[in-house]
Amino acid sequence: MSESKNEWHLLLPILPFLAVAPYLRSIGWESVDAAYLIVVIPLLTFPLILILGQMFNGNVTWKHRYKEGGIFALGALALSLSIAVWILYDYLVGSAHFESASVVDPFSWLTFDVLQQNGSQWELSTGFADIGVGVWIDSISLMLLFVATFLCFLICWFSLGYMNKDSINEDRNHRFYGEFVLFGIGMFGMVLADNFLWLFIFWEIMGLCSYLLIGFYFWKESAAYAAKKAFLTTRVGDVFLVVGLVILYDIYGSLEFAVIFDDPSTGVGGSLVDSGELFWALMMLFIGAVGKSAQFPLHVWLPDAMEGPTPVSALIHAATMVNAGLYLVARMVPFVDIGHGGVAGLEDLGLIIAWIGGITAFMAAAIAFVQNDIKKVLAYSTMSQLAYIFTGLGAALFLLNIGEESAGYFVLGASMFHLFNHAMAKGMLFMASGSVVHELHHAHDHVRELSLKYSAHEGEDPFAFDPLDMRNMGGLAARMPVTATAMMFGSMSIIGIPLIGGFWSKEGIIAETWAACLKEEPMMFVPALLILATAGMTGFYMTRMWLMTFAGSPKSEVVGHVHEATPWIKEPLIILTLFAAIGGFALAVLGVVNFLGGEHDHLGLAHGSALDEAIYQLEHAFLPEDANMRLIGWTTILLALVIGPVMASRIYGGRLIEGVEATPLVAWLVNLSSRLGSQDVDELANSQLAEALQRRLYFDDLYEMVLAKTVVPFAAFAAWFDQNVIDGVIKQVESNSVFGSVQIRRLTTGSARDYILMAAVGMLSVFALVWGVSA
Amino acid sequence: MIEASWIAGLGVILFGVGLIGAFTRKNAIVVLMCIEVMLNAANLNFVAGAAHYGDVNGWVFTAIAIAIAAAEVAIGLAILLSLYSTQETISLDEANILRN
Repeated sequence: MSESKNEWHLLLPILPFLAVAPYLRSIGWESVDAAYLIVVIPLLTFPLILILGQMFNGNVTWKHRYKEGGIFALGALALSLSIAVWILYDYLVGSAHFESASVVDPFSWLTFDVLQQNGSQWELSTGFADIGVGVWIDSISLMLLFVATFLCFLICWFSLGYMNKDSINEDRNHRFYGEFVLFGIGMFGMVLADNFLWLFIFWEIMGLCSYLLIGFYFWKESAAYAAKKAFLTTRVGDVFLVVGLVILYDIYGSLEFAVIFDDPSTGVGGSLVDSGELFWALMMLFIGAVGKSAQFPLHVWLPDAMEGPTPVSALIHAATMVNAGLYLVARMVPFVDIGHGGVAGLEDLGLIIAWIGGITAFMAAAIAFVQNDIKKVLAYSTMSQLAYIFTGLGAALFLLNIGEESAGYFVLGASMFHLFNHAMAKGMLFMASGSVVHELHHAHDHVRELSLKYSAHEGEDPFAFDPLDMRNMGGLAARMPVTATAMMFGSMSIIGIPLIGGFWSKEGIIAETWAACLKEEPMMFVPALLILATAGMTGFYMTRMWLMTFAGSPKSEVVGHVHEATPWIKEPLIILTLFAAIGGFALAVLGVVNFLGGEHDHLGLAHGSALDEAIYQLEHAFLPEDANMRLIGWTTILLALVIGPVMASRIYGGRLIEGVEATPLVAWLVNLSSRLGSQDVDELANSQLAEALQRRLYFDDLYEMVLAKTVVPFAAFAAWFDQNVIDGVIKQVESNSVFGSVQIRRLTTGSARDYILMAAVGMLSVFALVWGVSA
Repeated sequence: MIEASWIAGLGVILFGVGLIGAFTRKNAIVVLMCIEVMLNAANLNFVAGAAHYGDVNGWVFTAIAIAIAAAEVAIGLAILLSLYSTQETISLDEANILRN
């Protein structure tokens, strides 16, 4: 197959980009000063790709050597990644620059005047508000920066295979890469922003790119609808976010992190901050985060967003953009941290966040049970896992606000660690699902050609085939060894199988939420219970997805023609599999939880050698001293490792067909699943509950109905008002003036004598008038 | 010595004659002559005023008005010539293509 020829030489143009960071270092730049380049370089690349794409569209060199701009995008993202790694390295080794302050000196960008009340008078102050441009770097933003740059790079790489080998994208890919890089600008900028206004601006750039990329196949009605839905739903949250920013500005007189976080309990002019007002400001920010991170009740857009190309789902709707909301909530920590100058009396905020997280986690996992579209399962899984992080952050905010400092920091670190694990695993899972779908699609094209040749199927449409539907898969483990292995480790990380990836963070979140519930606040019980149950449900739906795709006998003839042949797709999968499989344990050993929680400013071994630290971590995870914690921990493990997966195996598991072998890495799982017996769940699958879950618990229908009852009649009324009242007035004026002009036209008789008479009479009237007035 | 008001009165009568002629006559040349009569009525008033107040401005205005009247007649006759060449008439009743 000509497609599989080696294309590594195409990467040569990106090497100079990689050399930029070492060069800057050699001429004496500080890594933080180079941080601007992380955003600026993609900012320059984005128009370049679009312009060159328009100029050279269809050109052979452009298409094959530069991959329709993909190589440029990859180069820019490689540069961003290398600078991000450089900053991370400097931060971890404790470079002198970070010890004094973690902020680059901001320079003024926007100065505007504010109307202020001075006594009884209003007057304009000059240069009151000053919005600077700066970079804010701490452990959380560094972690997210690494996740964003790393995944942008890998997924761009993946796209070179996924997008450019699909004829439907031909001559349109420069738009994809342009928007991809624009998204990178948004994400990197949001993470680095040192004030809430910039954060919001980049936040909106991401929203725009999400809209553009979901609607990449805009001629498909479902894609256009999904793009609109995503844009409008997140817009609801963003309106609240703006309101929250205005209230914050009202309290602190600034949106700079440095000003606000310096002393969150003191507002503008030294006044004491009112916790009620601050509560509403943070609540509004949280609603913005709910919209962006697809949490209940603004979650409806995320599953539909899977209409976009798979790299977009992997990057934007699983690994990076949806984390923006979590980042915003994590930024609220200084407000509530009463040990470090936070404002007391904000416990409710943490509780609300934890409740929303718990409800979303449970609901999304339940809906994922019955989805047959492989990407939809992953989408609901994303919602569910993000909800875990929200619950953890809620618990962290709650604990910090009641003064439980060490527990609060621990769960904050665990939540951020889960964000990292989830981003790595979910980005990889989406790429793996993309690999499956892509190869199935190609295999189907192949089968279609064959059957066209022999015209085997008469009378039925042999071409109706949905490559996303897991009911068409099965037995792919033998056909796609790399993808099957990658997906197995990714699923294990998401489920929280002990020792792998997400286990290390999920345990922490569940345990600390329960601790908060048992020790402090009974109201935490509901979210704690929900996320505990979700641990088992995650085990079920992820196992179900894997088994339906890779185990059992093939469900359609297309499967027999699948080859894992497309270049550029396997390498990112392998890299991310390593991160998902062993990254979690390695980072846990290095104390990443304390690092992300803000207690340490470096990664490192806290208890002597690596072995000691590993033993300490294992002991801490499996045999904590507190009996309650031990019970919770083992319940989680039981649910996630045994109950969920075993149930899924009994329903969906099965041996591969005779004569084919899977790679040993996944063969054990296939065989194990076939040994657990089988169970018939037709009755359950046809129940009302399954129907409700299929219909996504009717939320979409509810929203559509509410919109149909409110917005649509209002729009109809507005249209009527426009047509009849506004246009009516104008039309009336117009028809009246036509009538008047017809009447006046009668005066133009064409006879010169009449005109002279009119002139004379008019003149005389004027004279008479003047005479009458003056007399 | 004739009173200035008598001369002004003659001017009014002349203006009236010119005005009525301009309304009633069909022949465009006659209408043009009537307009000249009206102009001269105005000139007469200027002259009477100048004599009465002993002010030279009235005479100057009269001289200018006569010059303008000459120019106006030239233009008017040119219009009438081209009217005749296109419409074959100089009757104002028949030259009404701009009607309505």
